[in-house]
Amino acid sequence: MRILRNISFGQYIPRDSLVHSLDPRIKILSCLAIIIALFLIVKFSGYLILGSYILISIIISKVHPKYVFRGLRPILFIIIFTLIIHLFMTEGKVIYQVGFLKITQEGLIKGLLISFRLFILILTTSLLTLATSPISLTDGIERLLSIIKFTGIPAHEIAMMMTIALRFIPTLLEETEKIMKAQISRGADFESGNIFNRAKNLIPILIPLFVSAFRRADELAIAMEAKCYRGGEGRTHYRELKINQIDILTLSLTMVIAIIVSIMF
Amino acid sequence: MFIYLENLCFTYSLGMPFETEVLKNIDLKIDQGEFIGLIGHTGCGKTTLIQHFNGLLTPTSGKIYVDGVDINTKGTNLKLIRQKIGLVFQYPENQLFEETIYQEIAFGPRKLGLPEEKIEKRVREALKMVDLDYEFYAERSPFSLSGGEMRRVALASILSIRPKMLILDEPTANLDPQGRDNILSEIKKIHDNFGTAVILVSHNMEKVAETVKRVLVMHRGEIIIDGTPQDIFEKHATDLIKVGLGLPQVTECMHKLKAKGKDVYTGVLTVDEAESEILKKCKI
Repeated sequence: MRILRNISFGQYIPRDSLVHSLDPRIKILSCLAIIIALFLIVKFSGYLILGSYILISIIISKVHPKYVFRGLRPILFIIIFTLIIHLFMTEGKVIYQVGFLKITQEGLIKGLLISFRLFILILTTSLLTLATSPISLTDGIERLLSIIKFTGIPAHEIAMMMTIALRFIPTLLEETEKIMKAQISRGADFESGNIFNRAKNLIPILIPLFVSAFRRADELAIAMEAKCYRGGEGRTHYRELKINQIDILTLSLTMVIAIIVSIMF
Repeated sequence: MFIYLENLCFTYSLGMPFETEVLKNIDLKIDQGEFIGLIGHTGCGKTTLIQHFNGLLTPTSGKIYVDGVDINTKGTNLKLIRQKIGLVFQYPENQLFEETIYQEIAFGPRKLGLPEEKIEKRVREALKMVDLDYEFYAERSPFSLSGGEMRRVALASILSIRPKMLILDEPTANLDPQGRDNILSEIKKIHDNFGTAVILVSHNMEKVAETVKRVLVMHRGEIIIDGTPQDIFEKHATDLIKVGLGLPQVTECMHKLKAKGKDVYTGVLTVDEAESEILKKCKI
């Protein structure tokens, strides 16, 4: 049950800040620019510049760094794993040796670079989801996708699916917790046994969860029809997205930084 | 003494921005075989409180003793505690998952490691307790039942572990009046025949007050009133209304009579009691 509480996915933290008030499209595009730049950089100084840019954004967003860094926890293992693999598996000048394991200078540099890359990547996307409400995020995605609608991408439907999925994550988590507690009260045990038994022990959670998820989906579909939902055609929006000067300035600044670091570093 | 709570406090999401204090300094003693109604407004902490009784939640501070054992010390066998205290959640029909009703009810005893013949005996016994015919129901799918029947099967699936205490969270929610009366009378029978202690959790005084012997009223994470239903309706009627819990209609009627200057006893719970009380006072 502890595990369920620690998921920070999509945990929007409302604050009154510049980052929060930016247009979601601008934030998504800025993140995209930074991510692309991250994969083009080959020098530490580049990461330093992008890293400090993100850190400054975090400070401006008024979201406590604690929440931003919490997003790192799940992938910390992956970062350490890649670092270790790179340390030991790269050929080059040996700087330290224990038995058959040797650390090379090239490995150290490459490992650190990739760790920084992953680190900043997660910080960037965490900041995006922490400072943008799921609704405006999907709104932004919908508008961005509708630019390339001519390719046949069903922008509205994708956005609607994302909105519904995001909306129901907390509901399903709550439900899972409730069912788990109910089954524990009946004598179920989710914490001991080998992996096969543990998997088998999940059945009493999964079946009720699926039953209720299908029921919810059914009810939602009926409720949407009752409200005359007919897809995206001709649908207007309650929140109209408008791009103002600050948005343009932010995007330009991010783009300039991203382009400069990817070319120069 | 069966359950003993000492200065129990509980805070949700401790150290997070959404931190909320749900239970505040709760002291409570519950004896073996008691029949208790735990009543309070939605969100007052009833459900949170009962989840402490079998160790599903760990208090932020304070202690819980079940059968003399402090259940939150390391090494306590919580499975044993959960066998003693059967907790039936709200809408328990949502927890059903087996292919047949027999398997559903056998789940608990099976987890206790009982041999098959004992399990069958318990399934028969549990089905009988909730007034369902073994031959007719045992091999059916629990998902083919009506809402009321599903709830009874879910109740039976807890009864089959033979708890010493049964805690039911809103057992009558979403049932029609007849289904509600059936469930309540089955619970009463279980209490009377097996000496099982029962805690009925509800936000609705009506009906529950008739059944139970002791009422705990919760408000904003505290137990504010503790007494017999008669006592509570007679002496604490204004408090109950103040915390947003109405009185049963018949009790309210008696209070109104009293306000009009008739000297009637206001601690009545049923229409029959009210009738005889009024007749008694009229004759004088």
